[in-house]
Amino acid sequence: MFKRWFCSILIVGFSLSLAAQSSPAPKKVDRDPDAIAALNKMGTYLRTLATFQVKSVQTTDDVLENGQAIQSNGVIDVIAVLTNRLRAEITSDDKHQFLFYDGKNFTIFGQLVNYYATVPAPPTIGELIDKLDEKYGIEMPLVDLFLWSSPQSDSTKDIIGAIDVGPSSIEGTSCEQYAFRQAGLDWQIWIQLGDYPLPRKLILTTTDDAARPRHSQVLTWNLAPSFNDAAFTFEPPDGAQKIVIAEVGAYGNDQTEPKTGSSK
Amino acid sequence: MNLSIQNLLSVTLVLLLSCGPVFAQRRGGGSARTSVNQGNVNRNTNVNSNRNVNANVNRNVNVNVHHDVDVHGGYYGGGCCYHPVATAAAVTATAMVTAAVIGSMVNTLPPSCTVVMINGLTYQQCGNTWYQPQFVGTSTTYVVVAAPR
Repeated sequence: MFKRWFCSILIVGFSLSLAAQSSPAPKKVDRDPDAIAALNKMGTYLRTLATFQVKSVQTTDDVLENGQAIQSNGVIDVIAVLTNRLRAEITSDDKHQFLFYDGKNFTIFGQLVNYYATVPAPPTIGELIDKLDEKYGIEMPLVDLFLWSSPQSDSTKDIIGAIDVGPSSIEGTSCEQYAFRQAGLDWQIWIQLGDYPLPRKLILTTTDDAARPRHSQVLTWNLAPSFNDAAFTFEPPDGAQKIVIAEVGAYGNDQTEPKTGSSK
Repeated sequence: MNLSIQNLLSVTLVLLLSCGPVFAQRRGGGSARTSVNQGNVNRNTNVNSNRNVNANVNRNVNVNVHHDVDVHGGYYGGGCCYHPVATAAAVTATAMVTAAVIGSMVNTLPPSCTVVMINGLTYQQCGNTWYQPQFVGTSTTYVVVAAPR
């Protein structure tokens, strides 16, 4: 009985302290204008880059049907010449792919399978991003780097929470860490301090999935890459076979279960 | 006072208990969003985010008839679906040697297929079943198609 009484006191105390903490400040959502400004400054700076090469060492969680998150690793190396040339190399546990865009055509080449597919492409990277997304369900690698502060994207309007976390070093470079919230997504970004406000690290947590899967990127930049024009045009190697890219809706949005009884 | 504390406690308990099922109901197979500025649901015309965790690709089974191929998000991670451990939640397909369903997809071909080029495109003929390799997103997938000739 004493135990129970004591326990009740504890609960009351806990509840009161909870109330004390939460009631005096039905806080406005934390949306630090300085954090938003830093994001805009970074985006504005990114939009001034005419040429860049960036390497992302990254992880992505996939969620199994039982809710378990499984992480996989990858490396993406992108070289972009605005506004109309791009090459990307994607390396992961089961992939070694190249994307080519020369202002006229877009090609995916899967080196391990030795397949490639080429489709006509719009005249700018910006338009290509939209076409790949809408027609083929392909997200351009490191697409954020092309969209921050671009006319295509008003990325800050969705932000409902913004915090300046403080200084943090990424691979020896001084950065400022920020944390943002928007519907279905919590994300953190580390922006390089100084004259080159580049994103150096990014973590995205998908919050509308109970498994809260994460994606992370650590970015290394080269703002004066060397390249030749041929790098952006695909020349099929010997034995490479041409295939197609499935359009959105062709198969992928078929939510139906197997048409035949596969399970039993 | 004591009564109200007990009420509080029981309400708390009820709340806790009623939260349980919410966490238990996990949506099968999604993957982490990989961009801040793209991948919002309003742009995403197909929200099928189920990963194909059917990894029964090394067996002598022609057809994996799951259609849940991820066409949005997570492409650049990859790898999850080929690990044997992922079969835990998988459905075990029964062998259907010839009755491959048109439009069904597999990640890996059955053995003994022949490459056939038709109109500049690549097909794989495996017995009576024809597969067309395609990029779905950036993943290579084999789609069962009607015999192209």
